[in-house]
Amino acid sequence: MPDAIETDAISRRFGNQQAVDAVSMTVPAQSVYGFLGRNGAGKTTTLKMLLGLLRADSGSARVAGIDVATDRLAAARKIGALLEAQGFYRYLSGRDNLEITRRLLGCPASETARVLAVTDMTAHARRRVADYSLGMCQRLGLARVMLGAPAILILDEPTNGLDPEGIASVRTLLRELPDRTGVTMLVSSHLLGEVEQVATHVGILNHGRLVQEGDLASLRAGLATEIRCETDDPARAAQVAAAHGFTVKQDDEVVVAVLAPGEAPRPAAAALNRALCLAGLGVHHLAPRTRSLQHLYQQASAAGATDLETR
Amino acid sequence: MPRFRTALLVEYRKLSRSLAAVLVVVAPALVAAFLFCNLLRVGRAQPWDMWMMKAAAIWAFFMLPMSVTALTLLVAQVEHGPRTWSHLYALPVPRWHYGAAKIAWICAAVALMTGAAAVGSWLALHAAVALKPSAAPPQALHVARIAMLFASIYASSLLLIAVQLWLALRWHSFVPALAVGIGGTFFAVVASGAKIGMVLPWQIPVNMLAAPPRAHASLLLGSVGGLLVLAWLLIRFSRREVQ
Repeated sequence: MPDAIETDAISRRFGNQQAVDAVSMTVPAQSVYGFLGRNGAGKTTTLKMLLGLLRADSGSARVAGIDVATDRLAAARKIGALLEAQGFYRYLSGRDNLEITRRLLGCPASETARVLAVTDMTAHARRRVADYSLGMCQRLGLARVMLGAPAILILDEPTNGLDPEGIASVRTLLRELPDRTGVTMLVSSHLLGEVEQVATHVGILNHGRLVQEGDLASLRAGLATEIRCETDDPARAAQVAAAHGFTVKQDDEVVVAVLAPGEAPRPAAAALNRALCLAGLGVHHLAPRTRSLQHLYQQASAAGATDLETR
Repeated sequence: MPRFRTALLVEYRKLSRSLAAVLVVVAPALVAAFLFCNLLRVGRAQPWDMWMMKAAAIWAFFMLPMSVTALTLLVAQVEHGPRTWSHLYALPVPRWHYGAAKIAWICAAVALMTGAAAVGSWLALHAAVALKPSAAPPQALHVARIAMLFASIYASSLLLIAVQLWLALRWHSFVPALAVGIGGTFFAVVASGAKIGMVLPWQIPVNMLAAPPRAHASLLLGSVGGLLVLAWLLIRFSRREVQ
C-alpha cells in the first residue's frame, strides 16, 4: 500500500518570501498526521499544493501514489478537504450546501443523510447556514469532506475559532473517525495540545521547512524525562543530584534532573529521592514528568531557527 | 467523469435562490413601467416602432450595462463572499465546468432580460393604450425589425458581459467591477456620439440604434470579440490558483 501522501522537496515562493522550502513529508496510510507550525509557517500553502490549488515551484506531491501535478482529478478523488470552515452558501440550508457538493462529486443521494448523521447535524440540516454557530459550521464542513467517503481527509485548522465545548466536540469526532471509517487524516494546527490528543504521527513546519517528522510515540520516547524536585535547600539538592550522575538544571527553588532519552523514570526518581534524604535534605515535592509534544515542538523549532540563521 | 450538466444544475441551484433571480425580473420590468407611464403622460398617438425603439434605447443605454454589471457581480460574489473557491477547486471536477456554467447562466439571463424588456414594454404599452385609447399607435408594429434590433443588442453585449465578468471574478472585492461598470455606463451616456464609442463595451449595444456602418462594426466587435474574450476568460479561469 503506497503512503497516503508523499511530497518530495516541494517548494513555493511568493515574491521574495519562501513560503515552503523543500518539504519532503510522508503521511502513512490510515494514520492521523498532525501538521504543526505557527501561523505563517507554510502549512496552508503546503496543503494547497497537495490539493492542486497552488502550483509548486519545484518538487512533487503524490496522493495515494498519484502525482497531483499530472493527474489532479484522480488525486482529488482520493481526498476530502476542509480549508475554509466558513466556505458555505449562507443563504442556503446545511442540507442544500451538502447537496451541491454531493452532486458535483456524483455520489448517491443517500450520502447526504449519512454524513449528516456521522457529524450529528441531522437535526440542523434544514436551517440556513447563516443561522449556524461557528461550531455547527465546522461540523458541516467535516460532513462535507466525508461525502463520497474519501480515503484521505485534509483538515486545515479544524478547531479554529471554536469555544472549548466546540473544540472538544470536534476532537471527539476526529478521534473516532479513523476507527469508524478507516480514513487517513492530515490535520494542520497550531494548537499542540489538540493535535497531541488525536495524532499518531506529526510533522513540524518552521519557516517553511519541515524540521521534524515521525510517529509520535517514537518521537516522545526519544525525549528525555525530567524529574522535578523541590527541597528546603535547592542549591545543595542540585549538588547532590549532580554527584549521583544526574544532569541538573536549577530554576530558583526548583531543581530539575534530566534523564537520558529512554531511561526509566521510576527507578531514577527513587534513586534521587534516596540520595536527597540520605544527604539530610527535606524533600516536599518530587515527580517525574514525561515531556509533551510542546517540548518536541519547541526543540524542533529552536533547531530549525538555528539552522535558518546559519544558512 | 463529472458531467458539465451537473455543474449547470448546481449553478442554477445557487443562483435561483440568490438576488440574481430578482434582478432578472426587476430590470426589464422597470423599462416596461417607464414606458407605461410615459405613454400615459405624452397622451398623443405615436407609431409602435417609435415606442419600441425608445424601449430598446433605454435598455441598451442604461439598463443593460447596469444589469450586466450587477448580474456578473452577484454571480461572482456567490463564490467570493463565502470563499468557496478553494472548496470547489479542490473537488475532482474539471475547473472549466464552473466557469462555463457561470458564463452560460449569465448569457442566458441577459438574453431572458433583453427579451423580457422587449415583450414587457410591448405589453405595458398595450396596457397604457387600454387606459388611454386616444394614445393608441396608428400603425402596426414591425415585429421582425424590432426583434432583430433587440437580438443584435443582445449579441453585441457579449463583450460587455465578458469584460464585466472578468472584473468581477478577478477581484474579491466588488468595488473594482462596480466602479468600472458605473464609469463605463456613464461615459456611454454622456459621450454617445464619440468615436471611441465604437469600441467601448458599455456603448456597443447602443450603437445598434445607429446607422449601418457603425452598427455593423459594433455588432461584429461586440459579438465575435465577446466570444473570444469569454473563451480567453474560461482558459484563465481554469488555470488560476487559489491563494
